Amino acid sequence: MIQQVTTTESDRAQDAPIAPPDHLVGKSCRRIDGKEKVTGTALYGADLFPNSAELFASVVRAQHAHANITAIDTTKALEVAGVLGVYTHVDVGGTNIHGLIRRDHPALASKRVRYLGDAIAVVVAKTERAAKLGRDRVEVSYEPLPVIATMEQAIADGACKLYPEGNVMGDKRIRKGDVERALANSHVVVTDTFFTQTVDHAFLDIEAGTGHWDGQVLTLYVAGQWVHEERRLIALALGLPVEQIRIIQPVTGGAFGGREDISIQIYLGLAALKHQGKTIALRYTRSESMRARHKRHALKIESTFGAKADGTLTAARIVVHSDEGAYASTGIAVMRKAASHATGPYRVPNVEVDVYGVHTNNNPTGAMRGFGACQMAIAYEGMMDRVARALDMDREAFRRKNLIQSGDTVTTGQHVDPVSIGHCLSKALAKFKEQSYPGNEKLPDYMRRGWGMSAICFGLGYGDGFPDCSRARVELNDDGTATVYTGGVEVGQGLLNTMMQIAGEDLGLPMEHMRIVAADTELTDESGSSSATRQTYFTGNAVRMAASELREQVLDIAGIKLKVHPHEITLQQGWAFETNKPDNRVSIQQICTEGLTRGYSLKASALFKPRTITEVPQTGQSPRAFITYLFGAHVSQVLVNMETGEVKVERHIAAHDVGKAVNPQSVEGQIVGGVAQGLGMALMEEVTYKDGRIMNPGLTDYIIPTIKDLPPVEAIIVEHDDPGGPFGAHGVGEPPLIGAVPAILSAIYDATGKAPCELPMTPERTWRLINDVRENDPLTKVF
Amino acid sequence: MTFEQALELRSELGADATVINGGTDVVVAMNHGAIKPTCFLDLSRIKAIRKIDRENGHLILGAGATFAQLGKLHVRALREASLSVGGPAIRNMGTIGGNIATASPAGDGCVALLALGADVQLASKDRGQRWMPLVDYFIDYRKTALADDELIQAVRIPNNPRSRWYKIGKRGAVNISLVCCAVSQNEDKKTKLAFGCVGPIPKITPKASALLNGETLSPGLIDDVANLVAQEVSPIDDQRGSAVYRRAMCSTLTRRLLTQLMEDAPKGDADA
Amino acid sequence: MPEPTPMEIPTIQVACTVNGEAFTRDVPVDMPLLEFLRDVLGLTGTKGACLEGECGSCTVLVDGETINSCLMLAAQANNRNITTIEGLASGAELDVIQDSFVATGAAQCGYCTPGLIMSARALLNDRPDISETELLTALEGNICRCTGYASIIEAVKRAHRESQSS
Repeated sequence: MIQQVTTTESDRAQDAPIAPPDHLVGKSCRRIDGKEKVTGTALYGADLFPNSAELFASVVRAQHAHANITAIDTTKALEVAGVLGVYTHVDVGGTNIHGLIRRDHPALASKRVRYLGDAIAVVVAKTERAAKLGRDRVEVSYEPLPVIATMEQAIADGACKLYPEGNVMGDKRIRKGDVERALANSHVVVTDTFFTQTVDHAFLDIEAGTGHWDGQVLTLYVAGQWVHEERRLIALALGLPVEQIRIIQPVTGGAFGGREDISIQIYLGLAALKHQGKTIALRYTRSESMRARHKRHALKIESTFGAKADGTLTAARIVVHSDEGAYASTGIAVMRKAASHATGPYRVPNVEVDVYGVHTNNNPTGAMRGFGACQMAIAYEGMMDRVARALDMDREAFRRKNLIQSGDTVTTGQHVDPVSIGHCLSKALAKFKEQSYPGNEKLPDYMRRGWGMSAICFGLGYGDGFPDCSRARVELNDDGTATVYTGGVEVGQGLLNTMMQIAGEDLGLPMEHMRIVAADTELTDESGSSSATRQTYFTGNAVRMAASELREQVLDIAGIKLKVHPHEITLQQGWAFETNKPDNRVSIQQICTEGLTRGYSLKASALFKPRTITEVPQTGQSPRAFITYLFGAHVSQVLVNMETGEVKVERHIAAHDVGKAVNPQSVEGQIVGGVAQGLGMALMEEVTYKDGRIMNPGLTDYIIPTIKDLPPVEAIIVEHDDPGGPFGAHGVGEPPLIGAVPAILSAIYDATGKAPCELPMTPERTWRLINDVRENDPLTKVF
Repeated sequence: MTFEQALELRSELGADATVINGGTDVVVAMNHGAIKPTCFLDLSRIKAIRKIDRENGHLILGAGATFAQLGKLHVRALREASLSVGGPAIRNMGTIGGNIATASPAGDGCVALLALGADVQLASKDRGQRWMPLVDYFIDYRKTALADDELIQAVRIPNNPRSRWYKIGKRGAVNISLVCCAVSQNEDKKTKLAFGCVGPIPKITPKASALLNGETLSPGLIDDVANLVAQEVSPIDDQRGSAVYRRAMCSTLTRRLLTQLMEDAPKGDADA
Repeated sequence: MPEPTPMEIPTIQVACTVNGEAFTRDVPVDMPLLEFLRDVLGLTGTKGACLEGECGSCTVLVDGETINSCLMLAAQANNRNITTIEGLASGAELDVIQDSFVATGAAQCGYCTPGLIMSARALLNDRPDISETELLTALEGNICRCTGYASIIEAVKRAHRESQSS
């Protein structure tokens, strides 16, 4: 994606006074993609169709959630007028397999299907209508296998195995101290089991894009979250060298982890390779998107926490079963993140965690905002409320007694410093208590009001020794502007502005003089994924490093021109001037001209690759499992209708330590938006399956919050410099969602006196909780 | 096109033409691939059936009246039910005739109309017009009294009943009912109840209504009615909710809405 | 009844005005207005996301009223006057609602933005004064997955203020 902003010559008139310094870091600069988005000119994947599509593709999906394929007959499909080709696994030139961590997911299934989203063939036709008709006429014969619909079925004796090695995909453990003894010596021991649901990303911009093969290069316009890794996976699957694939990210309508796995890229690539010179287009419908895409893991979390009479936590034993669905996706990393966040921001000396990932014939589960840490927060914060009640202690006091302080260790044994969780909690509670809105008016006796809180932490980045890195390049252009090149993808979070503001701050350039090129494998270098809340920290650091190096060149050249030492020069608003004598000045544009004649490159690139340390497998302990930790605290107030179970969130406060808000407006957008998704997860969102089939594959029944569901959300930005982050920033993407869910559940507990342990708390679930009506379970579960 | 011309086409084409007005049910089904019509009878330009008239103490709602139009009526249950349908754009498109034709057990408009004791007018080119109680129009799941050569022309409801409406959904707006309930009471204290999502069709509860008729509302009576309602409805388990919950909610909503009618009675008959 | 092959879908002539410009096209009778605007006229500013009338991404104005273009047939738009997101700005100058959406950061991923702006436009066209409830109701049919709506509410209020004062 290339962003251009025009600059007028008058900006650089030689006699104009230099504008006062304009610090881009900390400023809510208007989003540079704002105008194209509000005018409808931004081109998303599906918007490329009318202008460029020449042929259309459609994907044949499995008709059984679990079956052996005995035959694929494409004859009738090929007879459909307009159909040009039908391609199956035999037509794929490479490994025909993908997967971010394990390569286990066939692009086009050949022998077996393991969920209803498995693809079997790609139909290419002159029109989309013909492609879909062709799709419906491909005849696949199956030998059905027993469908493993729940985790219970998956681990039962004699269960049908999805893979030769069995249905347990993997496990992850934490061992710290002596839990057995600590629990035996505790004043109270509280046990409960939490069930979190399968969640869909429900980004609005359904998977769509185009592919084109010119005989040399396969060009794919498809939205992902990590274009360089996607290129590697597509190359392997299709049997092309990476340099013959170019991926360009179109404008992208949300991701939330849902674009991390390969989606339409390989189908488009295959179709393009078979129709050289033609631009192929492919777009899913909402139901195809939901049926094909991975989901957030449903977890069953069995928790036992012990505490002394004075409220000091002694031990935690946690057993997690996670529905991994049909393929590995990023499940193994989610299991790790779940384990390492099992006790959150609390000091627990003795910990045992066992996480088991179990394969079923449901959709693969993988990345989604919060990535395992989100589900664990529901459990540990739920336990904080339960243990506090068992001790008859105030919820806040109990939390404060156990919150980690700077230098304390988290679940993985990592010493964390600085720790701002106490500060975040104070800020959120102070805001909550400074006004009692909505008031204390008398409620009808069937309405109850309650409030709750949460305190959460989040280890930033992939962590656990994974070689996580970002590259960036910053160049000065002839006209005195600067361009940032990054492989990082903008999915709506504001990455473009963040990177431009960081570089512009160092170069003393106004925003109007900044340009950016992002997420094009041809023009940019690898910057890792837009996930794990990592871009501001990782790519931000790389951009900062490159910009600082470029700054040195600029200062050197300015020193020559101004005849002063570079240390005596200020860069401001596109000018370099002698700090104590501003009239002695030279424009950045002039510096460019001068620099080029003197042989300066006027460009700099940087690699940011901090080291994390792999956890010891037997104990899950690591001195540095994550590069840094983020903290946040929420307070939520709800009104519960005790007769119907309806829950209305009336007020929500979220305080997050973001290190430094590079663009405060974007940060607030992430916080409030995260709360909205958390509210959806707490109260309404749930993918329901019946024998592996998604029963609600559309936005009519997979419901997400409307404008009337959100209360006024008060976002509090807490800034404690992160010494490792660019300008002290670290990031904010995931924590707001993680904090929101347990705070809302805590408020429901407060209002009803009953502790929720199952998500989402729909009116029916809340009513069952209040009235102790057991679920005779019409709602299909994966447990 | 006039309504008479539409009836002629309907008579000629019958089930071969898909009748469409706002499209909020028909085009959804098309987009899902559930139906693939290639011939449409579009009623959306017929002004005559978009009107709302008063006649002898009744309101005559043209079948093409949109939920946006009904959302401005003073009849409270129908107004609130209409405003609970979709968002504003859906309410600008969807019509009461379409709601009745689709005959979904979750049809919010149908539930409100049933509680109001509505009659529906069906028309055909050959057999002219006929009025029937809406309650008799619904036969079974998405099966109605509408013949292949008929169109829905209008709905008739009393002009000034007291009525209440409540719908339980999973979120704050644009909800499909988990359960909905409407009640109305006319000047003779004839009281009617209707429910959505508690069986194959929008549902009335004759026994519970009989218990109420002519009686002055009291907490004891309301309790009896609420308990009877739970026995009269026949909800099922589906992915949106369970029978247990829906049955319980029918009682709860009956109690709540009748209590509102009782408590608001001294304030006069007009629906605020 | 055998399913019609792609070539057998009957077509119908549609003459309508879109953003002030008259168009006449032959289109399949079953084509939704959304597809007509995007694939036939190339006006891709109007988005599709659910095709069930649940998300509001496809909201356009037909004769001044908001409708979900995924649920109206193109054929039903015959002789009607349609306004899409492309029709709001006059030249380089943004509509006040568009400008406010940029100013408050209400367009994050931006996919819901055109639909929301059209709903807001209809609201502000209709009403000199708007209450908080009216504002929320006017936008209740437009789903946003990114912002949590706060910046959107702020944008519409700002646009309302600015259009009152001008």
